[in-house]
Amino acid sequence: MTQMQDTLVDFIKVLRTADIKVSPAETLDAVQTVDIIGIEDRQCLKNSLSLVLSKTPEEKVAFNDCFERYFTFDKMQTTTLGLTAPPPMPIGDASKDGEFAPEVTAKTNSQHQAGGGDGGGDAQDWSQSDAEIDFEPLSPSSVLGKLLLDGNRMEIMIALAEAGREINVKQIVVFTQKGLYTRKIMEAMGLQCLQYEVTELQAGGSRPEIHLAGRLKNARDLLREQVRDYVEKQFLLHADESGRQVREELLRKVKLSNLEKRNVKQVQEILLKMAKKLIAVHSKRRKTFKRGQLDVRKTLRNNMQYDGMLFHIKWRSQKVDRPKVICICDVSGSVSNYSRFLLMLLYSLAEILPKVRSFAFSSDLGEVTQLFANTTLEDAMAKTMRDYGNGSTDYGQMLMDFKSHHLKDVNQKTTIIILGDARNNYGEPKAEILREMYDKAQHVIWLNPEPRSSWTIGDAEMKKYAPCCHQVEVCNSLLHLEGVVSNLLRRSG
Amino acid sequence: MAIKNEDKLCSIDSIQNNFESLNYICSPEIATAVYLSYHLEKPVLIEGPPGVGKTELAKTTADMLGLPCIRLQCYEGLDESKAIYEWKYGKQLLYTQVLKEALREILGGAKGLSDSVAKLHEFGDIFFSEDFLEPRPLLKALQEEDSCVLLIDEVDKSDHEFESLLLEMLSDYQLSIPEIGTVKAIPDKKPIIFLTSNNSREISDALKRRCLHLYIPFPDSELEGRIVKARIPEIPERLRQQLVRFIQELREMDLKKVPAISETIDWARTLLLLHTESLNPDLVRQTLNVILKFQEDVETVEAELQSITHRAIKSI
Repeated sequence: MTQMQDTLVDFIKVLRTADIKVSPAETLDAVQTVDIIGIEDRQCLKNSLSLVLSKTPEEKVAFNDCFERYFTFDKMQTTTLGLTAPPPMPIGDASKDGEFAPEVTAKTNSQHQAGGGDGGGDAQDWSQSDAEIDFEPLSPSSVLGKLLLDGNRMEIMIALAEAGREINVKQIVVFTQKGLYTRKIMEAMGLQCLQYEVTELQAGGSRPEIHLAGRLKNARDLLREQVRDYVEKQFLLHADESGRQVREELLRKVKLSNLEKRNVKQVQEILLKMAKKLIAVHSKRRKTFKRGQLDVRKTLRNNMQYDGMLFHIKWRSQKVDRPKVICICDVSGSVSNYSRFLLMLLYSLAEILPKVRSFAFSSDLGEVTQLFANTTLEDAMAKTMRDYGNGSTDYGQMLMDFKSHHLKDVNQKTTIIILGDARNNYGEPKAEILREMYDKAQHVIWLNPEPRSSWTIGDAEMKKYAPCCHQVEVCNSLLHLEGVVSNLLRRSG
Repeated sequence: MAIKNEDKLCSIDSIQNNFESLNYICSPEIATAVYLSYHLEKPVLIEGPPGVGKTELAKTTADMLGLPCIRLQCYEGLDESKAIYEWKYGKQLLYTQVLKEALREILGGAKGLSDSVAKLHEFGDIFFSEDFLEPRPLLKALQEEDSCVLLIDEVDKSDHEFESLLLEMLSDYQLSIPEIGTVKAIPDKKPIIFLTSNNSREISDALKRRCLHLYIPFPDSELEGRIVKARIPEIPERLRQQLVRFIQELREMDLKKVPAISETIDWARTLLLLHTESLNPDLVRQTLNVILKFQEDVETVEAELQSITHRAIKSI
């Protein structure tokens, strides 16, 4: 049973690197589940562990993936358990659908032929070789040799896994280390003794000795193949994920405009993850107790002790929701490098804060709240860019539009976030409207993708706009975004 | 645990078969969840799109085991006085009034304040005893003598505070009532708890950690075919296959709300009422409002209706 537990713990580690949150309590549940379900029925085990360990649809998908990758090994063990000393089979490729026996035999044979050339050529096929020879076969003396020729498949697998654990193959980080770890595992399994034995046997020169040497050599080559596959798989399970973490960490610090197209998908994932984290931290609603309606029930309950005389009057508590947020995003030509990300932020914000209203503009302001709520990020962004994007900027027009249509919706609970570079093409800035918004709203935040030093250069109007905002921030990397959003939520939460 | 009809929970297959005899066709995952929930003594949190039979699963389990199903429908503002317990204020007030009259007799000539108070203390906290307690669903589920199935429906609709309130119940099968103490479930008769969520907001990790998590997706065509057959046995085989294929194809489309199983069944009933033998575009157009609930969706589908219907008919 401890063997299974170790395996389970390892598996859970793999799950964690794949972004599935598994708490120690859930680990215990998993152990209990395995006790109840048993490990005979693979599908059933998978279903059960999936119930216990993965707790969102996304996690379920990741879980299935990990399970398939991790437990192919165990399946090999159980399916070949009944056979005694079958030829070792290469592991990696034959695990997908369980119907692997024929292919594998074919593969083994071909491998033998390949290996047979330098191995002396007497052992073409293991399963038959014993029957063909006319002399008493010798038995190998080294531990590894015995294991390879006499041990069954499961024992070899276990030895392999143990050797892997011993040399800590899990720490593999880059693919160039694969060769190193393969050799290390082979050595840990006793390669040296085997080599020594082979040399001895060949030096001996008698037929049985040469025959055995050939068999051992073949077995060794096959084992190497297996170990390589094993390391490969460990690399996929462990290193791939930690490699990804490193990449994500880097991406966070890169300037948004420098990000390449191919990274966009990943950035999006990071943004969503960020949004989720932020939701988890900030989504608590606060209750404040204000005088409102009389709460008869509570009043009676509390005045019981005074013989029904109403000493303490209780009022119904009033809930205060999170504040309204109005987001205005510049999608004009001058910020085209950034606008994708600004929109992405806008979209993620809409997911975090339920009462966010989103607007986009180049010159004329348009509301995109509905669009964002109903469509996927890609669609929403494409449509927004099509409808409002890439014109020449006119902040004055935008502010006038806002004033005439939406200023009435701004009250003391509203937070206004403006995303843009404040480059107005030397047009009328109309900062007085922003001032009006500033007076009415609880908070006005301006996020500018340009560095502070260029805020006053050229047609930038930041100097005029900045005094009308409660907070002005540079925001051009994901780290910045994270900080700003989390600040915002802390204030509103 | 030892509850009524326990043998029906003895294996995953037997659960699946028993469900089937109650016309609830389920995948092995669902049966596994029920099995584990009973044997691990853990609640099941069921998520999935609306109309895939989340609530039905709880009801069917109760049916199968012959246990009462206690249901708590969650909504914004639900609090402990509606979910756990409430004191019977009226009764308490009435009794105090009555007692006032009888106070002299009770005190029975006790002299001085301390004497009287001592006398009164002998009565204990009668006003806050179980006699004055009005149990609400959660407490009721714990007190049920033959165990029961507790269904906490649409838990995502409730507030955060309420979610935290549930934690004690979900992890330890007990509730703390300040005036009385801790009420525990009767040993071996713990209720089987199901929670459902439509994912309108993220459920907290604390709650998820205490539950098994079952995600019920839309069924594949084979399973859906069986479900329709179980619910409406009299439907012609050909129509059933066409109908399922049609619905499955709709689910692939970009719709505001794709049809769920309940809509498939409704539609099948409708078509049966109209004595349909086989789908045809006109008929589908007339009955489209049974499966699609938004005008936008109806318009989207109508544009491609001809081809979808033909595909559904032809591929059989």
